[in-house]
Amino acid sequence: MITTAFPRTIPMRIRPALAPASVVAALVATAMALVWAPTDAVQGDVQRVMYVHVPSAWLAYLAFLVVFVASVGWLWSKRPVFDAIAVASAEIGVLFTGLTLIAGSIWAKPTWGVWWTWEPRLLTTAVMFVMYVGYLLLRSLSLDLERRATRSAVAGIVAVVNVPIVHLSVTWMNALHQLPSVLRPGGPALDDRMLATLIVGVVAFTILYAWMLAARVDLERARQDRVLGSLLLKRAAGA
Amino acid sequence: MSVARRTTAGASGRRLLLITALAVAVGIGWSALAALGPSAIYYLTPTEAKAKQIAPGTTARLGGQVEVGTLRYDETTRDLRFILADGVTRTLVIGRGAPPALLREGAGAVVEGVFATDGSFRASSVIAKHDEVYAPPSPSQTPPHRTP
Repeated sequence: MITTAFPRTIPMRIRPALAPASVVAALVATAMALVWAPTDAVQGDVQRVMYVHVPSAWLAYLAFLVVFVASVGWLWSKRPVFDAIAVASAEIGVLFTGLTLIAGSIWAKPTWGVWWTWEPRLLTTAVMFVMYVGYLLLRSLSLDLERRATRSAVAGIVAVVNVPIVHLSVTWMNALHQLPSVLRPGGPALDDRMLATLIVGVVAFTILYAWMLAARVDLERARQDRVLGSLLLKRAAGA
Repeated sequence: MSVARRTTAGASGRRLLLITALAVAVGIGWSALAALGPSAIYYLTPTEAKAKQIAPGTTARLGGQVEVGTLRYDETTRDLRFILADGVTRTLVIGRGAPPALLREGAGAVVEGVFATDGSFRASSVIAKHDEVYAPPSPSQTPPHRTP
């Protein structure tokens, strides 16, 4: 029998703080990005798009890694909470991959001169986006909780290969996208204030992720309970 | 329904699935990174394009550096010209319309278009490349194309 009694994913004491914390962090990050961080010497103010683009991309990576871990968790232990975490994280990951693509496109037009080009980083990111949209579609192919969870867990494990591929695509021989500015040999290639702003942005997005994840996991748990409840009722009526 | 039926399908089956999925993921990831990296071709360098003897009229993408002292843009005729070089081969690129603001002499560029019969390259799109280094301007310098 499926057990639905499992401790909530994020301890109750931290939970209420997530919403206000993400609002405050977002406000601080916005102020830093728009006012405090200096204007880039080469690109001008448009470089500030980075403070949305990079944290979005980070969040997409994080979300898909969590989908991977939760998928392993489901196949290993068959606890429904893992399936709930997987779907919640996948939806957030798709959202932020989309945001990464949009913000990147807005940044690309005034700097590169085009909204889009089939360059390795852009191509692999588009593939990652489509694969996780496919993951979400796969989830709607079955009403059976267990079968759906198992199928999507396999997809969630296989699809994680996109993350290192996207990350490393900029190092391929002829790419257009610039290399990572922070995680690079020889230390960050950013001005100190730019780096601090970027870090605050990443932290703000991560808190937002935790908030969204917790809310969405709760929703999925309620759905699981309802489906299981109606199943039990049906069985009781049939007996 | 199936909830009860498959509970006995068992942990071993699912864990086998888990191991298989992990193996597939590692296999795909490893081969993709090993094979895609060296073979993914976004652009050709002028030297590679020359070696391939791309026929005039065939769409191609070239990447290289804008040779210092060669970038010309005429605002009345909207004629854009520069030499794209890779250290060995120099290709004259002719385009129409204003270049992207970051197109600089000595910096990277990627052009899409076709070769003309005289060996020059007619670009339908000119893309500027920039690096991953960001910094505020030095005191004497004004930031370029600053949004008002």
